[in-house]
Amino acid sequence: MKLKPTFYFLFMPLALWMLVFLVLPYGQVFVQSFYTVDDFGTLQPAFSLDSYQRFFTKELYYKTLFKTFGLSLIVTAVALLLSVPLAYYIAFKATSNKTLLYTLIILPLWVSYIVRAYAWKTILGSAGILNSFLMYVGLINSPIEVLLYSDLSVVIGMVHIYTPFVLMPIYTAFEQIPVSLVEASKDLGASRLRTFLNIVLPLSLPGIIAGGTFAFVLSLGDFLAPILLGGSNTLFIATIFQNMFGTSNDKPLGSAIGIVLLVVVLVVLELSARGERKYSSLTSR
Amino acid sequence: MNKLFRSAVVASLAILGFGCSTSTEKKTASADAPAVTDFKGKTLTILCWEGYADPKFTKAFEEKHGCTVKGVYFGSSDELIAKLTAGGGEVYDIVTPSPDMAQALVEKDLVQPIDLTKITQYDSLAAKLRSMQDVVKDGKTYGVPFTWGPDYLVYNADVVKNPTSWSVLFDLKNKGKIALWDDISSLYLAGILLGYDKPDKSAIYNMTEEQLAAVKKKLMDLKPQIKKYWATAGELDNLMKNKEVVATIGWPLTPATLQKEGMNVKGMIPSEGATGWIDRLMITTKTANKDLAMAWIEYITQPANIAKVAEVTNYSVAHDGARAFLSPELQEITQMNNTAYYFEKLNFWQYVKNRKRYNEVWNEIKGGTQ
Repeated sequence: MKLKPTFYFLFMPLALWMLVFLVLPYGQVFVQSFYTVDDFGTLQPAFSLDSYQRFFTKELYYKTLFKTFGLSLIVTAVALLLSVPLAYYIAFKATSNKTLLYTLIILPLWVSYIVRAYAWKTILGSAGILNSFLMYVGLINSPIEVLLYSDLSVVIGMVHIYTPFVLMPIYTAFEQIPVSLVEASKDLGASRLRTFLNIVLPLSLPGIIAGGTFAFVLSLGDFLAPILLGGSNTLFIATIFQNMFGTSNDKPLGSAIGIVLLVVVLVVLELSARGERKYSSLTSR
Repeated sequence: MNKLFRSAVVASLAILGFGCSTSTEKKTASADAPAVTDFKGKTLTILCWEGYADPKFTKAFEEKHGCTVKGVYFGSSDELIAKLTAGGGEVYDIVTPSPDMAQALVEKDLVQPIDLTKITQYDSLAAKLRSMQDVVKDGKTYGVPFTWGPDYLVYNADVVKNPTSWSVLFDLKNKGKIALWDDISSLYLAGILLGYDKPDKSAIYNMTEEQLAAVKKKLMDLKPQIKKYWATAGELDNLMKNKEVVATIGWPLTPATLQKEGMNVKGMIPSEGATGWIDRLMITTKTANKDLAMAWIEYITQPANIAKVAEVTNYSVAHDGARAFLSPELQEITQMNNTAYYFEKLNFWQYVKNRKRYNEVWNEIKGGTQ
């Protein structure tokens, strides 16, 4: 096969980028996960399964992974519950200012993650906007302490941050549903709910799966929200991962955690891709 | 000829700079220097905590020697190790480790012995700080004391009245209003609370598994009280400002900052004691600019210059003579007006051989698992 020079010209920068910033680092992390480390934190090249063994036998590590899994699922579920009705409204109900509404949803993406996390600190704090307001109107007498620096605030922050990612593919999916199908369903006497459940929802499943996957995978690897908004009981797997490369200087264990997390994410992505494919075509059903 | 002339000028400048040194012996030390003081165009690279290579005090040195001083900052002891051991470690001339790493650098031969006779002010540096043996190997000293400070009880004096003991952290009145530093030093604190620092002060840096288990239990008991494990001084400032937290372990920086904003936040060493840190100046083994590095240590340990370090960082500095150059407020903030008291009370950090295990225990506490 003979390729044109333009191919190399267009393809090589990307390939080089992927190689240098994706393939090689992952390769290094993979190799490193089998290394050992001395008390000083210096890497000792070896082939040792010690790090993986520690991960799967110490409660600290595998339990934290499960907990992270659980919280990510909650974030995903809440983001979906918020996004589906909202996307439905923008796609089918809003008439004149569709673009404006859509932009309003996307707008937070233009603000830095950290700024948004700090905004939640201001809102949820003991002397924050929400508590002050609730006390002002007399609903509570003392601030609700659990609002900030708890798992709750981490979930709230993540839902806020990842909802646009969930909404976008769902909205796109809704937009692509031919109106004729919906009309046909109604013409045949189906109620609104039945039309939604039998026509709209199945057809938008690829979008819902894609959006949910975004939220889930991003939450799994997030370490900023737990650090900024989390409390004394909040520990995410990414926090441990960061800790291994930061203070603990245990790169092999950190790498092993990274590889485990990578495998988990790849499995999730594969399942999600299969789900999308299964529901993607109108004719297959 | 020109070179000789320049050296002579530099030498006389140097002697002028050390105005206070009168003994002939010290003069000879600096008079020996000319042969190597031609540093024009050279770059001194300092691997240090933020603030230790500030233009406020590097500028005069640069002008004097015609060299450039470059500060490369590290944010944690482990970052220091990573930077120093990674390929290209030879670019650093000076490092300023804290005592949790200093000994390791010496043992790993990453730093070299320092000829103390060439540091004119060495004998005037705080005796307590000089007496520490963790940077001494085979009778040679590898580190010159630079800055230091306590990890003591920082509290909101409007809420917590006249505390005398760390027990205020456990006081149910303060439930949900306590913070700890997100660092293995919390384990040292628990060790002190459990009395593991007696009779051997250094035992809390080398606790046994049973002791670590007790430490873990102690910190798990404290957990319901805790609002947040803070990571940076700025974060702690915010927590105290927003009244999320009323008492924590912290540094003098926090009361200093918050008092300026009108808050009644104070710091004190509780009766059980507290840990402290001391940063040293060390010369790397691989440096190509050893003489320049020596000149820097000589320069920065002069009272007038080290006082500027205190001014920039708000940390206590190793030379009592710096007081003459500090305002009363700054002396108060940096405890420079009360060094003897702090030196007696503080249990200065040491290298934790089992750092990995300490970190694991700390993570287990944070994660609340077994």
